[in-house]
Amino acid sequence: MAAGWRSAILRQLRVPVRPALAPAMERRSWIGAVRWSGIRFLSSGDDHLDKQEIIDRVLSVVRSYPGVESSKVTPDCHFQKDLGLDSLDVVEIVMALEEEFKLEIPDKEADKIDSCGIAVEYISSHPMAS
Amino acid sequence: MASAVGSGLSRAEAFSLLRSLLRTAAKFSDYNIREYVRRRTIDGFRENRGLTDPSAIASAFSEGRSQLEIAKRQAVVYSIYAPQVKNIMELNAS
Repeated sequence: MAAGWRSAILRQLRVPVRPALAPAMERRSWIGAVRWSGIRFLSSGDDHLDKQEIIDRVLSVVRSYPGVESSKVTPDCHFQKDLGLDSLDVVEIVMALEEEFKLEIPDKEADKIDSCGIAVEYISSHPMAS
Repeated sequence: MASAVGSGLSRAEAFSLLRSLLRTAAKFSDYNIREYVRRRTIDGFRENRGLTDPSAIASAFSEGRSQLEIAKRQAVVYSIYAPQVKNIMELNAS
């Protein structure tokens, strides 16, 4: 008699076993939904390089050119007047800057770049510089 | 080059030819050939800097242009068999 009662009661009390995955997955998706739903990180304004970073990279490119004295390289040095380079060297330096910043500078603009300052200005105003 | 006047060839054209050659050099996938093309163009232009005779200037220009055509074709051909591994000189010194 007691055994019959016991098993009947146990049958009522026994909790059906659910697969372990479902609750965990539900929990994860719930957390994901809460975290990402309202917040979107659209930052197109950070594409432009920091001016100081541009200056540093330009100067390092100029410094690594053979025949350039490191001490004379300043953020506004003139390639031909201050550094004693000739026009061929200037073209080479502009090409090296093109490679560094992954740009393609048209000939007309490249002819105007003849000092570090102008190079920095051009690169910072170029939308594709990276 | 500084005194390249006459027959329509100007300083600007010389620079444009130089830039085209250097840009074509950058397209090579092989480090050695890339560096050679760069070196050779710079040396070639430097060597012909002081030309004054218009015919000599014109012949130098035409030679440069033919070399440019050759380099462009070869860049395409070499890219078909690009090396799989980067040349050691291209790896940044760590």
